[in-house]
Amino acid sequence: MDRLYVIGRDEVPQRITLGAGESLRATFVFPSRVDSALDLTVDLTGPGAELDLAGIFVCADAETVDIRMNVRHLAGGCKSNQLFRGVADGRSNVRFDGLVYVAPDAQKTEAHQSCNSLLLNEGARVQTDPQLEIYADDVICSHGAAIGYLSADEMFYMRSRGIPEEEARRLQIMSFLSPVLSRLPESAYSLIGFQR
Amino acid sequence: MIMNEVLLDIKGLHASVEGKEILHGVDLQIRRGEVHAVMGPNGAGKSTLSAVLTGRPGYEVTAGSVSFAGRDLLAMTPEERSWAGLFLSFQYPIEIPGVSMTNFLKAAVQARRKAAGLPELSAAEFLALIKQKMALLKMKPEFAKREVNVGFSGGEKKRGEIFQMAMLDPVLSILDETDSGLDVDALKIVAEGVNSLKTPQTSAIIITHYHKLLEYIVPDVVHVLKEGRIVRTGGRELADRIEAEGFEGIDG
Repeated sequence: MDRLYVIGRDEVPQRITLGAGESLRATFVFPSRVDSALDLTVDLTGPGAELDLAGIFVCADAETVDIRMNVRHLAGGCKSNQLFRGVADGRSNVRFDGLVYVAPDAQKTEAHQSCNSLLLNEGARVQTDPQLEIYADDVICSHGAAIGYLSADEMFYMRSRGIPEEEARRLQIMSFLSPVLSRLPESAYSLIGFQR
Repeated sequence: MIMNEVLLDIKGLHASVEGKEILHGVDLQIRRGEVHAVMGPNGAGKSTLSAVLTGRPGYEVTAGSVSFAGRDLLAMTPEERSWAGLFLSFQYPIEIPGVSMTNFLKAAVQARRKAAGLPELSAAEFLALIKQKMALLKMKPEFAKREVNVGFSGGEKKRGEIFQMAMLDPVLSILDETDSGLDVDALKIVAEGVNSLKTPQTSAIIITHYHKLLEYIVPDVVHVLKEGRIVRTGGRELADRIEAEGFEGIDG
């Protein structure tokens, strides 16, 4: 299943269970300029269950984005991948809490989680707290959270080609968001302030 | 001999990086249609010169002037310099994941047209332009679809720079160490590209510390930059002498 959820527009589940052999590809969009929250638990309960989840936020103003993810590998042989990308401008406030739990007998689990954000303004705030709780020993797990800034080298490269500063900034933001942006239909771009 | 109009006029240029002076008074004059080589050992200030000319942030000009086609180059932003016809082929081209070469160049070409008061190209016109330039440089059509410099080999990156140069039709191109990291085959391809873009109205500065590239792109004038100053200016025979004897014996 491939699902797109726009927070505040669509009905968003709080709990999803994926049984043996079931898979879900889901993308969550946190629209710009409104407060939004996601509090989601995904249980992988049967072997071969696969979760491919992504989220994107482009905070432009003073909005708050609150993401709480809880992915629980309750059976072995399941895969989960969580990929969040976002930018925080203005006086926005982003909080990401992500827990990946691997039960004691959930061997051969593969679980990845990353939440990378770009800070565009000193007044913006991003707080990420990724956590792994692993009780099985034969697993492949990774998590990462990086907060960065626009790259001066990329900016100069684009401007030296005649791309004006504002447009260069926009391209660089799109480049940063591209791993998640590429999952969205173009009709969803305007929700996060992009036109194409 | 008819002397063409002066395109670039650098006078007494001093520039610093992080408070440390790197260029100690550079004078350089380039006329339309000329190819100049700037050679020099590591740390001579070659890359600082190209950075200052293109307006890279972090480089401070403390004295001197640069006029480009009669305008005060140093007063212009990097994008304005590009619109005026200046192009820098980067020594280390930057990767921009998720942005295709086509979209990148579209942004650049349209911005330049807007600055010149021209209407934007339609999608079809832009595609035709890209195809024409790729054919000129004998490049595979897939190239335009790839993300900017992502996963490119050293040779592909440099060819990509020359392709961008072809798309932007510059009046003055600065090739900063375009030969670094290239094998002879890649070097020939890049040089062929540069030569095919040459016109009597356009000029180029080839920055290098090797002689090799200058066998394929023959300069009209060779300058030796050492310790932030141009210490010698001559014809192509100067490059041959450097090849044979190194920079050691060449001083002002």
